[in-house]
Amino acid sequence: MKAIRLASKILKTLTKDRMHYPERLIVDTLSVVARFGVLIILYSYVFKINGGIINNTTFVVAAWSMFFYFSFMILGLRNISKVIMQDVKTGNVEVLFSKPISYIFYRFWWQIGLGLYSFVVITIVGGLALYLAIGFPSTFTSSIFIFSVPFIFLGGVILSLILYGIVGLLAFWIQDINPVFWIVDKAVMILGGSYLPVALFPLLMYKIALYSPFGASQFLTHSVYESWQSNWYELFSVQFLWIVILGFTLYFMFRGAKKKVSVNGG
Amino acid sequence: MKEIKFALYAIKKNIQNSAELKTSFLMNVFGMAINNTAFIIIWVFFVKTVGVINEWTASDIIGLLGFATICFGIVLSVGDGLRRLPDLVSTGSFDRFLLSPKNLLVRIGTSSFGSSAVGDTIFGIVCLIFYGILIHASFFQVLLIIFLIIITTMIFLSLVIIIYSTSFLFTDSDQVTTGIFNFFLTPSLFNGGAFHGLMKIIFVFIIPSLLVGAIPVEIVRDISVGKLLLICILTLFWFFLSIKIFNKCVKKYESSNFMTFGN
Repeated sequence: MKAIRLASKILKTLTKDRMHYPERLIVDTLSVVARFGVLIILYSYVFKINGGIINNTTFVVAAWSMFFYFSFMILGLRNISKVIMQDVKTGNVEVLFSKPISYIFYRFWWQIGLGLYSFVVITIVGGLALYLAIGFPSTFTSSIFIFSVPFIFLGGVILSLILYGIVGLLAFWIQDINPVFWIVDKAVMILGGSYLPVALFPLLMYKIALYSPFGASQFLTHSVYESWQSNWYELFSVQFLWIVILGFTLYFMFRGAKKKVSVNGG
Repeated sequence: MKEIKFALYAIKKNIQNSAELKTSFLMNVFGMAINNTAFIIIWVFFVKTVGVINEWTASDIIGLLGFATICFGIVLSVGDGLRRLPDLVSTGSFDRFLLSPKNLLVRIGTSSFGSSAVGDTIFGIVCLIFYGILIHASFFQVLLIIFLIIITTMIFLSLVIIIYSTSFLFTDSDQVTTGIFNFFLTPSLFNGGAFHGLMKIIFVFIIPSLLVGAIPVEIVRDISVGKLLLICILTLFWFFLSIKIFNKCVKKYESSNFMTFGN
């Protein structure tokens, strides 16, 4: 009960804060326009010169798949790595450890709260704009899609937080986690279907995307394809498996990290 | 001349300072170089899947990433201080730069060194060497590549100055400058073949992202004198405009010292 109260308080406070200072929303909108906006123009042209279909995929499906990726990215869950590193470097982690809350869960909720407002606004407005511009793929009306999307999204959020949380916890052992963060982040970017939609992946890359935690954190991008109707339970299982494996890794790393903390009070 | 001497001295000291933490420095450099290969992987697979667009082959994309990362690396390694402008302005630490007798822009730029950007520079050099080999570059094309590295670096520097000068105009400028910077940088890393018609005009003349990657590659590939002339004129335009904008924005600065006296 206490944990739920803390989570809702964090989400409420941060959402109010973001509404009060709209700069973040402007920045996120600019970022989506720069990345997704340009990409969509590029792909509309590419599909046009290729006769409208590439690898049995239409432009509408590819566009929505990429939109899901960029919309998910607005949540900014990956930044949890840097926040944890900052806590360790500044010594803030000692203060947070002494509070009667779970540090990891506090940081998880904090990260969600920071991006929630921009995510909701941009996803609704962007989705609407995309629908008006190109329409919906036919898969959007299937019951499997409607039923599964909230769960695969939730799984993606949990897996992303765990994955980037592990990278952040490395700060207890190595001084600068940035190089590790870059590699993990780019693996998610490539295998998640950001600039190249998953349907256009070569076979080997597609297999890696399916069975690695980097690709599994972005399974939301798979949900718009026809193949989702037949393999959604398989992808759910893979995502769940990675949540369990990496969840335990995070748990044991966090236990080790607590032992590494030395309080150098001043 | 005196300013250049000072800049070189400051850069030398900054490099020595960064290299003190050897492991962290090397990890940053190589981590960034590995990080950049992600873009090569994506665009090479893109070309493999959808084919060549507007004559843009995989080797052209390697050239594009070479130009874009090398100018990014040079500017944001030796001139990393420019990126700290939002923080300097909001904390009031900018006061100490105003009191310095040195050239303000040089003093700010060289106040910090970005070690990870060295990885971008190395990555850029490797890409351009590969690009030269892949297109069987003639002696003239090699000279063009070297000249265009200078040109793209100047454009990139100008844009960084303009973008970070906006720090003086907003209260929470860190977020805004990051957003504008990404807005400029992201299209520069995209397949140049995708830009045509109005899009190309916008990203050459209004948001000059293509000037730091796609246009230099087209100049080297097609040995286009017209485009070379255009990029030289635009470089001068953006450079002088950036100095003007910076000087104008600095006048908007109001000290907001947190009693740290510039620490």
